[in-house]
Amino acid sequence: MNYADVEIMAPAGSFEALTAAINAGCHSVYFGVEQLNMRARSSINFTTDDLVRICRQCDAHHVKTYLTLNTILYDHDIRLMKTIIDCAKESGVTAVIAADHAAMAYCKEVGMPVHLSTQANVSNVETVQFYAGYADVIVLARELSLSQVANIIAEISRKEIKGPSGELIKIEVFAHGALCMAISGKCYLSLHSHNASANRGACIQNCRKEYVVTSKEDGIELEIDNEYIMSAKDLCTIGFLDKVLDAGVSVLKIEGRGRSADYVDTVVSCYRQALDALQDGTYGPDKIAQWTTELSKVYNRGFWDGYYLGRIMGEWSDAYGSKATEKKIHVGQCVKYYPKIKVGEFQMASHTLRKGDQILITGPASGVTRSQVEELRVEDRTVELVEKGDIFTLPLSEAIRPKDKIYKVVQA
Amino acid sequence: MVRITFHRIKCIGCNGCVEAAPERWRVSTRDGRCNLIGGKEKKGIFQAIVDDEEYEQNKKAAANCPVRIIRLETI
Repeated sequence: MNYADVEIMAPAGSFEALTAAINAGCHSVYFGVEQLNMRARSSINFTTDDLVRICRQCDAHHVKTYLTLNTILYDHDIRLMKTIIDCAKESGVTAVIAADHAAMAYCKEVGMPVHLSTQANVSNVETVQFYAGYADVIVLARELSLSQVANIIAEISRKEIKGPSGELIKIEVFAHGALCMAISGKCYLSLHSHNASANRGACIQNCRKEYVVTSKEDGIELEIDNEYIMSAKDLCTIGFLDKVLDAGVSVLKIEGRGRSADYVDTVVSCYRQALDALQDGTYGPDKIAQWTTELSKVYNRGFWDGYYLGRIMGEWSDAYGSKATEKKIHVGQCVKYYPKIKVGEFQMASHTLRKGDQILITGPASGVTRSQVEELRVEDRTVELVEKGDIFTLPLSEAIRPKDKIYKVVQA
Repeated sequence: MVRITFHRIKCIGCNGCVEAAPERWRVSTRDGRCNLIGGKEKKGIFQAIVDDEEYEQNKKAAANCPVRIIRLETI
């Protein structure tokens, strides 16, 4: 099996995350602009004015760019949809990730390549054939097993199903990150409780909460305290990535446009290392254990293997929010970086920092830098500890920039 | 009188406010976000002063808003 053409697609919900993804070795990034994407609420989202900057930064690193435009569209959205697609084309975005037929049709009209979103719930080869007139890459439903995925990919080759580019249709799957409780994200709960449609990117995540069951007969309440019965654990395929790729998958998508830059850095790094290990034949249990430990350090609800290995029922989280083994505390920001002597100057905003502490620095142009405090200096004197208000320096081998944020990393 | 405040940049164009108070709200086909009819803009926040009789309809509009960007005050 040749893994050289496999693509790792990273989420970019901010310039910090975008830079982190590129530095961590992704092959492509996906991001949303304005409000017509599935993270309209939870991610800051870029504007059409940011597209040129995103494309320039990605092009310089040979990273492909995909713009998500995958909500349900109403009539009043059509003009904005067309404006976004026109801007994407002008800016040099590689493809648009679409789910609504109006967006696909307009992309075809103007010659903008399309990737079919998982929201389209593609679960069989006939549907792949149907959409082949519009999309070159198709994201399959997350609820398929790997044998179903392998069968669809084999049929694409056998039937020579080609997309608008003339190439065989490529199949993309979700490799890591949060899973929706509803099939292909088609959930009505959030709309029902808060008029906030998940399919317009406004999900309020009812499924992640605790619930009480009340008897209609006598009003007795039973607390469901052993599991969050609707909150799926996070998907993690790093332990069976060989099987995923042997099914013929071309693109591995990492979920998380609402996640921080350090999350993107950790997850993309692990999956890139796993892909490289598969290529050079060193992929195995020891490395899988290492990567799993690393992945557990950042936001997660516990891991499971999704539906890929044939599970019929989901696995549910047993805690609210993240089970990350590490957390970061914001302590200050960068004032200046001195490249010749490789020293960063910072101002403390809160908490304390000691020699030996693990630190994390993030910024829009710097991405993510991890380090250990080797030395702390205040007014040219070495100190053991710095506190709120102190202006201090510490040695840093990687360049950072003024206003980058510095965090202390501690056990959760 | 009632002061309606609307943080337009955060609107996701769901049409919920239009359903509740169609005389006061209309979705723009230019950018897919809602317009507060009669609203005046200051630093991205739109405000309109309307009669008390519009209170109930616009209270429903605010309740319908999935991103909670419509606020009502009796003045």
